[in-house]
Amino acid sequence: MKIATALLLVALAAPAFAQQHPDLSGIWIAGNRGIRPAGENASIKVLLPLEGVNQDKDNVFAALDRISVTERAKDQNKPPYKPELQAKVKDLEVRQSQEDPAFYCKPAGVPRMGPPAQIVQLPDKVVFLYATNLFRLIPIGAAHRADIDTSYMGDSVAKWDGDTLVVDVNNLNDDTWLGPDGYFHTEAMHVTERFTRNGDTMTYLVTVEDPNVFTRPWNMNPRTLRLGTRPLEEGPPCVEKDAEHLVTLDHH
Amino acid sequence: MICRMGHTNSIAVAIALAAALLVSGSALAHHSFQAEFDISKPVTLKGDVTKVEWVNPHVYLHIAVRDDKGAVTNWAFETLGPGRMRAEGMSKQTFGIGRTVTLKGYAARDGSKNLGFLRQVTFDDGHSIEVWLGDPDDVNP
Repeated sequence: MKIATALLLVALAAPAFAQQHPDLSGIWIAGNRGIRPAGENASIKVLLPLEGVNQDKDNVFAALDRISVTERAKDQNKPPYKPELQAKVKDLEVRQSQEDPAFYCKPAGVPRMGPPAQIVQLPDKVVFLYATNLFRLIPIGAAHRADIDTSYMGDSVAKWDGDTLVVDVNNLNDDTWLGPDGYFHTEAMHVTERFTRNGDTMTYLVTVEDPNVFTRPWNMNPRTLRLGTRPLEEGPPCVEKDAEHLVTLDHH
Repeated sequence: MICRMGHTNSIAVAIALAAALLVSGSALAHHSFQAEFDISKPVTLKGDVTKVEWVNPHVYLHIAVRDDKGAVTNWAFETLGPGRMRAEGMSKQTFGIGRTVTLKGYAARDGSKNLGFLRQVTFDDGHSIEVWLGDPDDVNP
């Protein structure tokens, strides 16, 4: 009888233990949409919105570059590069189409690759799945590995801070940028990602530290993810075919 | 802003959306259209869709254009990325491989022959696909 009682208590306690932390599992949508069904032989018009730019009378190509660059310039939350590196950042930004590793289909890497499109949460690990066909297997409560080369996604370990999953990333290579504006970094970069679920939304916060190039840690703009239902699909490959045809350094 | 017009129903359904290309954290690096294509060099061609390259960062549509003497010229037209197309329910099949289309686009600036940026394809049954840029408030009815 005592054994039966003990087993019952264990059985009751196990689910309770498992529920101590929120379940982050799900398909998470960061700005992109679900699929709108296209009727067969239905006319479709997809418009990339450019406010104040006439579709027929204005140079929409030049307007896209101008508006994109202007909008990003308005953002006050820029990475805090050391003063002596500002000129290098500017030069890289001007020559983005020649220098940005992601422009030539290299992995965007952490943190530029953004939040995962899907999370599978297990008791001892989380699995991050990306629409670019990449994945991250992140142990919870483990120490960083010390036996691997630096890489685009680095080495990630997770821990819980209350209801927030904190992912600590090191061992990152320097073959990525943090954005299209020349935001380079070194292999000293250390990234912290924070995932906090609130019902059907998730807050994704990223802090980037790189004492070689920054004067202080940089908190990237928060992103809010929405729980989705669209199954993750295999992403198309990246095939760069344009660089040889670019005649100016224009970029967006 | 995305507008979808049914083939027989001209009521446009408009949905306000963020412009993915304007998000600074975009994982894919898109090149400038202005650096590659000339808005002052529009081209209109009629041909058969031979291939759709469904790749990042930009989808390519290939058409074979036959002249009066039967000689075939193959053209490649770039458009937006596959992620945006997919979100609109589009796929390779949407571009009608094997079908005859009338295509509107803009030629490359570097003088490359038979390379352009796609704006619109119209199929022989009258329905069309337009992928373009601009202010949604001046959408042509």
